[in-house]
Amino acid sequence: MPSSRRHFLQRAALGGAGLLLAPLAGLHSCAPGSSRSHISGSLHGANRATGHLLRDPASLPAPTRTEAVEVLIVGGGVAGLTARRELARLGLRPEQVLLVELDEQPGGNSRAGRNAVSAYPWGAHYLPVPDPRNHELLAFLAEAGILTGTDAASGLPIYNEYYLCHDPEERLFIKGHWQNGLVPELGVPPAEKAQLARFFALIDELRQTVGTDGRDAFRIPVDESSCDEQFRHLDEQPFAAWLDAQGFTGSHLRWYLDYSCRDDYGAPAAQVSAWAGLHYFAARKGRAHNANGADVLTWPAGNGFLVEQLRAQAPSPIRPNTVAFALHATPTGLAADCYNVATRQTVRVAARQVIMATPSFITERLLASLPAAAYRPLPVHRAPWVVVNLTVEGLPQGPGQPLSWDNVLFGTDSVGYVDAGHQSLSLTDAGPRVVTWYRPLSAPNPEAARRQAYQTSYDDWVRQALAELETAHHGLTAQVLRADVWVWGHGMVAPTPGFVWGPARAAAARPWQNQLFFAHTDLSGISIFEEGFHQGQRAARQVLAARSTGLA
Amino acid sequence: MDKVPVRRVKRPALGASTAAAVAPTDYRSTLLLGSVFVIATCGLIYELIAGTLASYLLGDSVLQFSTIIGAYLFAMGIGSWLSRYLGGSLLRWFIQLEILVGLVGGFSAPLLFLVFEHVSSFRLILYALVGLTGVLVGLEIPLLMRILEGRFEFKDLVSRVFTFDYIGALLASLVFPLVLVPQLGLIRTSLLCGALNVVVAGIALYRFPETRPFRRSMGGALVASLLALAVAFGFAERLQAYTEGLAFQDQVIYTKTTPYQRLVLTKNQRELRLFLNGNLQFSSADEYRYHEALVHPVMQALPQARRVLVLGGGDGLAVRELLKYPQLQHIDLVDLDAGMTQLFQHNQMLLELNHRSLLNPKVRVINADAYQWVRQDSSRYDCIIVDFPDPGNYSIGKLYSAAFYRALEQRLAPGGWAVVQSTSPYVARRSFWCVAHTLEAAGFTALPYHCYVPSFGEWGFVLAGRNRHWRPDAGPLPPGLRYVTPATIRAMRFFPPDMSEVPTEINQLNNQALVRYFEEDWGPYVH
Repeated sequence: MPSSRRHFLQRAALGGAGLLLAPLAGLHSCAPGSSRSHISGSLHGANRATGHLLRDPASLPAPTRTEAVEVLIVGGGVAGLTARRELARLGLRPEQVLLVELDEQPGGNSRAGRNAVSAYPWGAHYLPVPDPRNHELLAFLAEAGILTGTDAASGLPIYNEYYLCHDPEERLFIKGHWQNGLVPELGVPPAEKAQLARFFALIDELRQTVGTDGRDAFRIPVDESSCDEQFRHLDEQPFAAWLDAQGFTGSHLRWYLDYSCRDDYGAPAAQVSAWAGLHYFAARKGRAHNANGADVLTWPAGNGFLVEQLRAQAPSPIRPNTVAFALHATPTGLAADCYNVATRQTVRVAARQVIMATPSFITERLLASLPAAAYRPLPVHRAPWVVVNLTVEGLPQGPGQPLSWDNVLFGTDSVGYVDAGHQSLSLTDAGPRVVTWYRPLSAPNPEAARRQAYQTSYDDWVRQALAELETAHHGLTAQVLRADVWVWGHGMVAPTPGFVWGPARAAAARPWQNQLFFAHTDLSGISIFEEGFHQGQRAARQVLAARSTGLA
Repeated sequence: MDKVPVRRVKRPALGASTAAAVAPTDYRSTLLLGSVFVIATCGLIYELIAGTLASYLLGDSVLQFSTIIGAYLFAMGIGSWLSRYLGGSLLRWFIQLEILVGLVGGFSAPLLFLVFEHVSSFRLILYALVGLTGVLVGLEIPLLMRILEGRFEFKDLVSRVFTFDYIGALLASLVFPLVLVPQLGLIRTSLLCGALNVVVAGIALYRFPETRPFRRSMGGALVASLLALAVAFGFAERLQAYTEGLAFQDQVIYTKTTPYQRLVLTKNQRELRLFLNGNLQFSSADEYRYHEALVHPVMQALPQARRVLVLGGGDGLAVRELLKYPQLQHIDLVDLDAGMTQLFQHNQMLLELNHRSLLNPKVRVINADAYQWVRQDSSRYDCIIVDFPDPGNYSIGKLYSAAFYRALEQRLAPGGWAVVQSTSPYVARRSFWCVAHTLEAAGFTALPYHCYVPSFGEWGFVLAGRNRHWRPDAGPLPPGLRYVTPATIRAMRFFPPDMSEVPTEINQLNNQALVRYFEEDWGPYVH
């Protein structure tokens, strides 16, 4: 009786907001009789069912008609959308380009959702203030109204203040208290503080370091970094081993570095290369007139905002719910059979050029019927992720810094949560909000982790997220109006030792016969917006170069 | 009581579907089901009252609400468990229980208000009372189900009792915030629910023949309880004022809880004071100094002004000063809190204070978030008065940012001026100068000044315009001012060394420098 009455109380008092929430795929509920029994929501996986159609392409219907385009882009993540935008900028007409996306909407790892309370990210959720030398990226940001001008005196870009992350930006829950910033300070012994200081001094130095080839030791995009052996050899050993050798052994520093690697790569310091571990810090060279290099740009929808801008900056069609399969050579180029999950029809799309903006494991399947030379295998370590969007009536706060944009709990498996309402300009602080909790399922064997992730129930995910968050927010469970879960079976590439500077990555990015081009962050080894953008640009330009060669 | 002849209810054989053996629904059963509805409503309201009171008196609403609900539900569980030990005449138990719930629940709010100031361990009393109410409420439904056991088939019984229980809960959760609290206040809501419980007891007592043997004795208790609740209901106003007065020294003459804040008006022989969430907003004894200083230095420089925007200032006192300029044609006032602006449009005493300014046909009152409104509005104003609360948290801090001032600049007509209330340059020196520097960074000419308001201390303002064409004696001042003259304005522009300019950061959305200054500057004064 009491538990059912409590359930009713929450439904009755808070249900108003709950009812307005947009209905999403498959409503799941938490275990009845548990403290979570009032919680329900959706459980998504990056369209696993559709993706897995590719395992048995023979079962898909034969094409009923044929279309012709100049360039077909397979995959609507950041790389694919950027390629689409770049092709338009380079002069291709809308009807000459077609993008097919397996999911019901484009965005890839930068997808976003929305309910009656707020928009919220399902994956990537910020862009660090960019290196001003990244002119192409800056041009995109200017076109999107994110970059609003240039300071006459310093020549530095000025960013839209409503998009620069508002203060307070980050906090860390450590020893029962929220401290400012994510680098552990509270209760850290002096010897470890000295290590932290030494590490960040080294990073400052590496940030300035230039190789003998005149290139920065660490730079975004990765391909702009120096090829010097002295830096490249860092890619041969695990970050953790390198840290041990350098005497960076303090538990707080190591937690922080593990957190950072898990945050960007989905894998801890033991699984990524020292080059990648250092790149995370030393490649951040953002400068702006009204922000510093540590600042980030963010939106309630996270990088879903950037995806929307990319989409809006080109006119060519995007065909969602569409699986491309059976790519094959034709006398005039290539053709892909494209199966639409909604209409259950297959269309053959003939194209002079195809850009594969897909992760390597998809690319491999799609190109199976082309000659072996078309695809150079790129084995990628890819951790699964789980993202939980919690719509809460309130967020009971512990002592210390108030709710910030990024909120991390020291010593936990997750990488914390972001507050989707952080950039709000409203005075009414109270009331429902959405927070997005991220957890990479880092394991030495991602295959096993992925299997386990797909078997974990909705209730288990919500239980795990709340069990962790309750340690910092006592009573949060009762405040949850809705919990929506996304299981990313194939999260993103982890720059394992030898990946970034190894031969496979470079080979996999090479076009084939002026017909087949590749664009994906797998080809960078680092899955961040800037790399996806760079990959898309590079592939689009290669396509154009190939076309002009063909014409000549 | 074992001697009382009670109709024994027959329990259907376990597992047997014996609809025929079950008594048909009679009007007494309907009465009892109706009482489930009342009981459920009252039960939830007691819980909401305790939660609201705890968060109001102890702060940290989320924690208080969570722990109160938890404790209450746990106590209900104990009550449900204890119900097994009640035997004999269940109806008699039920009637006694309802009278007891009516008294304990009904007097819970007035009691908590009364003891708050006098008892050191208020929390203990709060939870004891919540626990007691919870136990009693927890007994109700199991007891009623047992009384109704023989009157319905088990599946119907469960279905009906719980249906009424949950509908009652829904009703409570809606009427409590929407009707009861705004109309009656917490104390009278509590007493009213207590009376409803006693009425349920009364109906049971006089409608069931089984109660005849104890009607007289219990009837007396029932009437006495109802009378006590009614008397308390009559005195609730005075009680509320008395209890608030304990916290506010002077006599509390009005309180109101809006969705955004708690308004309390106090009065003594000399002055009327308004507190928002316990912070003094103005004292009628010297508010003229503040509002004259806020309005006239900027207005005297704009003799051609026609349109004015006031941000904040829902008390209408700045508007009162503005209306002394007959050339003004239109004033927009944007204040988040409709509860505040309505109070200052309707309360007689406050209308006398603000000269009915918010009812003036030239004035349009808009209840909206100021930042959003400034960004979305497209009109221009000759003068903008910015009278926000001090930048005590990150949400308000955004209303003092360079980005906000740039948005504000879009609303300013050519040649127009704005003025910004900018906390105390004496207590919060860096905060004050941070506001001035931020206005400059946003492209304004910033002219800081300050005045002395006895109930606040030294208070600061910053004039902000696109040019430097401002003079302290540009135009005529309205007659009848008590503080501001051209000489006063000149004097207000002078900053003695202990308040003079200090270097500060610019307050940006991405650094919130002002909130940090403000916290540090005021910290020593509040803790």
